Amino acid sequence: MKARSAFAFLTPFLAVFTLFSLLPLALSILLSFLDWSPLNPEQAGWVGFGHYARALHEPRFWGALRNTFFFVAGTIPLTTTLALGLALLVRLPLKLRTLFRAGFFVPSVVSMVVISLIWKHLYAPFGGMNALLGWLGIPPQRWLLDPELALPAVMAMDVWASVGYYMVLYLAGLETIPAELYEAASLDGAGFWARLRHITWPALKPMTLFILVVNTMRSFQIFVEVFVMTGGGPMHATETVVLYLYDAAFHQFRMGYASAVAYLLFAILAVFSLLELKWLRSEQRTLA
Amino acid sequence: MRGTPFGPILALLALAGLVAGAGCGRKGGNDQASGQQEVTFWHFWRQEWITPLITEFERRNPDIHVVDEQLTWQAGQEKIQAAIAAGQAPDLCELGSTWLPRFAASGALMDVTPIADSLRGEIGHWEPAMQGGRVYGLPWVVGTRALFWNRALFRAAGLDTTRAPATWEELLQAATRLSARPGVKGFGLNAGERYVLFKKFMPFAWGNGGEILTPDGQRAAFDSPANAAALAFYVQLAKQSLIEKQDVIDRAFMDSQVGMMISGAWNLRVFAEQAPGLEFDVALIPRPAPKRGRHASFAGGEYLVVFARSQAVDAATRLARYLIGRDAAVALCRAARSVQPAAMGAEDDPYYRSQPKDRLFVEQLATAVAPPPHPRWGEMEEALDHEIEGALYGRKTPAAAVRDAGSAIDALLAEDRR
Amino acid sequence: MTSRAERRSGPLAYLILLPALVTMLYPLWLMFRLSVSGGEGGPLAHYAAVWREGLFGRYLVNSAVVALAVVLGNVLFAALAGHALARGRFRGRGLLLGAVLTTLMVPRQMLMIPLYLTVAKLGWVDTYAALIVPFLADGFNVFLMRQAFLGVPVELEDQARVDGAADLRIFYTVSLPLVKPALAVMTINTFLSSWNSFLYPLVLTTSDEMRTLPVGLALISQGEHSVDWGHLMAGSALAALPVIGVFLVFQRQIVRGIMAGAGR
Repeated sequence: MKARSAFAFLTPFLAVFTLFSLLPLALSILLSFLDWSPLNPEQAGWVGFGHYARALHEPRFWGALRNTFFFVAGTIPLTTTLALGLALLVRLPLKLRTLFRAGFFVPSVVSMVVISLIWKHLYAPFGGMNALLGWLGIPPQRWLLDPELALPAVMAMDVWASVGYYMVLYLAGLETIPAELYEAASLDGAGFWARLRHITWPALKPMTLFILVVNTMRSFQIFVEVFVMTGGGPMHATETVVLYLYDAAFHQFRMGYASAVAYLLFAILAVFSLLELKWLRSEQRTLA
Repeated sequence: MRGTPFGPILALLALAGLVAGAGCGRKGGNDQASGQQEVTFWHFWRQEWITPLITEFERRNPDIHVVDEQLTWQAGQEKIQAAIAAGQAPDLCELGSTWLPRFAASGALMDVTPIADSLRGEIGHWEPAMQGGRVYGLPWVVGTRALFWNRALFRAAGLDTTRAPATWEELLQAATRLSARPGVKGFGLNAGERYVLFKKFMPFAWGNGGEILTPDGQRAAFDSPANAAALAFYVQLAKQSLIEKQDVIDRAFMDSQVGMMISGAWNLRVFAEQAPGLEFDVALIPRPAPKRGRHASFAGGEYLVVFARSQAVDAATRLARYLIGRDAAVALCRAARSVQPAAMGAEDDPYYRSQPKDRLFVEQLATAVAPPPHPRWGEMEEALDHEIEGALYGRKTPAAAVRDAGSAIDALLAEDRR
Repeated sequence: MTSRAERRSGPLAYLILLPALVTMLYPLWLMFRLSVSGGEGGPLAHYAAVWREGLFGRYLVNSAVVALAVVLGNVLFAALAGHALARGRFRGRGLLLGAVLTTLMVPRQMLMIPLYLTVAKLGWVDTYAALIVPFLADGFNVFLMRQAFLGVPVELEDQARVDGAADLRIFYTVSLPLVKPALAVMTINTFLSSWNSFLYPLVLTTSDEMRTLPVGLALISQGEHSVDWGHLMAGSALAALPVIGVFLVFQRQIVRGIMAGAGR
């Protein structure tokens, strides 16, 4: 495609992107090197990498990072596997197929704020979770008030809320696999699992990697869920990096420091994403 | 003509139309009658409570037009900060007593000491608004916490129903007796909640003579036997308690699953609306012993501040004076029931005379303590919360927790001095 | 595509899918159940109270207008930009892609104040412009479309070019129809994200008339300290219902859209 056309195509997007994404981005990077409070917008002291150094020495930052990593490692494999499993099952010629498809997707349609509120009720002492435990003969738990259980509890909710969405993405991916491949394989005597391993899984690699990249980016930045359900407690057990920087920015008025934390997170996320993207590009080349 | 992208062109036109029309939308009310001064006012109240007051004010001051906006508790502070940073701050704004010191220290607020001096006889609770000897906010309403107790549960547990527990020992005994019944917890203990936990624990510490900072505000005074004893008691109380966030505790109390709790006056309105049959009463927070300590509680409040860059200082001040006046303040407090007027003599108002429960909160205010008006109180509070929870969850002894909290606060203060 | 194995697996599938469905739907059912515990006012008392308390109709309209505009804009902008990033040969292409991905990796909360400053300088605070324009350039959508266009065989486009078609025409008649699944996904995604957006509309609007649904509901439901579950859940249900409704109604089309692209 000619470069001129490319630029024409890009212009609307670029105009908005530059003004409302790049400019704020540049400003906030600048902020990370300054000592700035929104209450005194004219006064700004240069601190260079001071904030970055401070963050790396801050135990609460490392705690938040640990929680975030735990969250990412715990939810992504689970969500991805469940999404694929459900997608495969939902494609079967079952009578209630449409009902299942719609039903699984519905939770991802509802706002995270609303979902967090509902699950807060579920995890309350009088809520559904303890009722379920009681039915199984297990004593009630403090859930969101328990330093050990709080983060897993939030993670469970997150998996529940996002599975349906990734299931639909996988459905889209599955649709693009030519039926002839499967027919040829069955003629060759391949069973269900063999077809899954040798046809479905490789063909879904681009979609899987896309889901991984997107989910990773989202999960590293998780905020609303913990903000609504726990506020980071108990004892910072559910404090993620974004919640930590939000607290620094808006409750401690340390915008510069918060920006530095954001860009430290960004650096980590960039490394992850680059690795995932490199893998994706090499996969596409092998497929082509 | 085939292939001409009609679809996208139409869509683009529609979009352009929307964006062009997007210039429409309320732009903060430029509809003033000639000669009227406009003042923007941000607050946290429901419209149905505040609008009558504003209407009355405009009636008395026809030369002023008030444009008010309700903020959310969840994101109100963020919004105020964003507005200040962009030079779009309102003229008059409501700020909580725990936020005020930080704003005051920043220089964003107008110095209202002259106004304050003229109001000293009528309005109380100035301390949180003071910074460096000057006053930066006008007290509007104040709130405190008291002991709620369920008479019916007391009766069923064979406890004295004529009066509430008045000392720590009585409190613990009552909680233990109440917890003996299945499905009931004697006390509702707050935990896992920022900005709330210290309000529920500190009354015991303050009541025992404990402090957070030295009187000159230069060093931490938290590491003291008084505070350690209070925390030890709190940890003991926890064993007979439902440990949860406040809204869950309030709910459980309403459902008669919790026998006692320390909470605020908003429950008076909520219980009346949602649990009219609940047999409960309120009392002063228990003191350490019959003749020792005080019935201390937490004191907080909402203050009205004028931003230094305001172009409508006079109108803003007039509005503020009206709102904090006893009549307006009592009207607001009657509607909300969650707070009490900062104006003096409110307890003599016919409303409070006729409502003993609301009146008790005014009484409790007399011995309530406000947190230190330090710009970095937020961070100190976080350190306190962390250590108190550490003791509650058995991670460290009360003595160690109190000591560590003291060191953390000292570290914060030392940073400031550098 | 059905084999004997797949037909036999029918009952097994139900065994897994039915409990999964219940798990998925229970919390939502809980929300509805709590919202209709109206008490003396009857089951819909909470809904009535929430509706009465604010400019509910206006919030609904605002959310709808904003969501519609943002979806339309994104579909246009992102498809064009995504195509350019996939096919265009120009210097700085990699850099632009990097910039787009970068914005995805920075927490939105950090960009809030600089963005607000920009909007304020433009004089757009409390207008539809503030709620729509900054959100027309979503990096995620551009990335999605780029991936989708990369999957379209270049030969098809080259052939059309040989036949004399201009780039825009190729885009509209050849490439775009082939990425319908991605377009469908992007539409749903953008609509949801716009409809459920809370923090930015909260900060960018000041008057009640300009509020969107989540913001309006938050203000109505906030009782400072108390949590009236019935009230809160009624408000939540009112916010969630339109989206669920739209999804259920268009569910066939959405899925068909996703499937349509498959039959190349």
